[in-house]
Amino acid sequence: MIRASLRKQWPGFGLDVDFASEGPVLGVFGASGSGKTSLLHALAGWIEPDEASIKLRGRTLTHVPGGVRLPIEARRVAVVPQDPLLFPHRTVRANLAFAPGAGERLRSARGQRMVEWLHLGPLLERRTDSLSGGERQRVALGRAWLADPALVLLDEPAASLDASMAREVVALLLEAKQAWGIPMVLVTHRSTELMALADDCLLLEKGRIVAQGPPIEVLRQAKAHDTESWTGVDNLLALTVLEHQPKDGLTWLDLGAGERLAAPFVDLPPGQILQIAIRGEDLLLAQLAPGPTSARNHLRGQVTRLESIGGEVLVEVLVGTTRLQARITQGAARALELARDQAVHVLIKTTACTPLWV
Amino acid sequence: MLDPSELQILQLALTISAWVVVVSWIPGVLVAWCLARWQSRWRVVLHGLVLLPLVLPPVVTGYGLLHLLGRSSWLGETWFAWTGMHLAYTTAAAVIAAAVVGFPLLVESIRLSMTAVDPRLEWIARSLGWSRWQTFLRVLLPLSAPGVLAGMSLAFARSLGEFGATIVLAGNIEGETRQIPLAVYTLMNQPGHEAAVWRLCGLSVLLALGSLAVTGWLRQRAQRRAGTS
Repeated sequence: MIRASLRKQWPGFGLDVDFASEGPVLGVFGASGSGKTSLLHALAGWIEPDEASIKLRGRTLTHVPGGVRLPIEARRVAVVPQDPLLFPHRTVRANLAFAPGAGERLRSARGQRMVEWLHLGPLLERRTDSLSGGERQRVALGRAWLADPALVLLDEPAASLDASMAREVVALLLEAKQAWGIPMVLVTHRSTELMALADDCLLLEKGRIVAQGPPIEVLRQAKAHDTESWTGVDNLLALTVLEHQPKDGLTWLDLGAGERLAAPFVDLPPGQILQIAIRGEDLLLAQLAPGPTSARNHLRGQVTRLESIGGEVLVEVLVGTTRLQARITQGAARALELARDQAVHVLIKTTACTPLWV
Repeated sequence: MLDPSELQILQLALTISAWVVVVSWIPGVLVAWCLARWQSRWRVVLHGLVLLPLVLPPVVTGYGLLHLLGRSSWLGETWFAWTGMHLAYTTAAAVIAAAVVGFPLLVESIRLSMTAVDPRLEWIARSLGWSRWQTFLRVLLPLSAPGVLAGMSLAFARSLGEFGATIVLAGNIEGETRQIPLAVYTLMNQPGHEAAVWRLCGLSVLLALGSLAVTGWLRQRAQRRAGTS
């Protein structure tokens, strides 16, 4: 889909990247100041790199020095920034119909479906300054998609929204990816967005790529690189769906060797892989089997690693064939007399398991 | 009330000012666009040139214009060869003098409202497929429109008060170039016209206040417009 190699030096910061990705959604992950937005602006042609070669689906966008530099408007690369940057002098409808030819596309059946799907129908004649944050972001998405771009660049599209609006925007992006098949580059510092949306992922640090691969791998490496933006999710698991208990609101996942994890119900056929995030502090460890509790997951495992980090202890427990990480206090570790190879019981509430595939 | 000769003066003043706005608003918008968005060292030079008439004594500006456009100048002769008419000492000369002196006010007002527009809006427009020129017409110009109108009303008001450059380039010809300040000056030097001088001065104050009120209102609108996204 995209192949890019570019260098740009500013006083005190340099961007130097070289990557190729088949997408269709390429995530760009990294701490703030790692160069994510600069990379996006270079792809859009908003900044002039010192040296660059960018190809999008075989079409050369930039080859400098000495070669091609397509003007911004000829790239067919639409941008959805964090602050949606709607045109304040135009209504919602006029914003959606802004790009050349977008008016006709908006009137077509497909355009009408898009408006319906973005829930913008009742807002079409409104002024943009009367919209909520989520509504504005939906208009920005519609405006970009109606430009019929070859690529959409999303710069932290949900970062300035509150949690429920952010979830709504991520869900829309996921649907867009599946239903409309529009290739995207998604810049984010949120691991959940990355896991939900990206097929391929770059990890950026100080203007350089330090890892590339599937999001789950890159997130693990981000942890190893101690990326500042790391959100504190210790367990990122890709588990196979075994069966569902919709009445109880449960989906059972395979932890290997006969052990199973109960997660909140997700409508995915058995055999499919579901990605799950569990915070280390949501795992409860016990020496002896506890009696009945509200936690659906009573698992048995073996301690494989103990590591003190500040006042906490990171305990790695092997359950089935899956390694889980629990965060407990030093006091709790002493009280349990935890040691390597010791058998422990692990309790996890179903609601602590967050499915990342929305 | 005004007598017929004073009405003629008022009519001429308004005609000259209206022509000033008509001929200078498009160059003013284009120069302001360059000053607001052009990334070049030459921008400072251009800005200095544009502001020059604001700080020069208007008589000096008029004298420079007379040398540029006068009957013995190359431009003046070429114009005469084409049209059979002279530029200096005509209503057109009064328009040119007032337009040059008012140009910095026009440009500054537009430039300020253009720099208040978030340049990322223009990047977005170009990423959506519009050329630089189309983006200017569809995004920057409409968003800075109140600033453009405010600049036009300032240039209009400034023209009503123009004296120094006009008297040098266009002279003081009744019915052709004698607008309000020139008429006041002329009448002041003739005994028995105090009442007419007062009337014309009062008229000047009213016109100036009206223009300023319109400018202020438009500037407020410009700020409101640029402040939302």
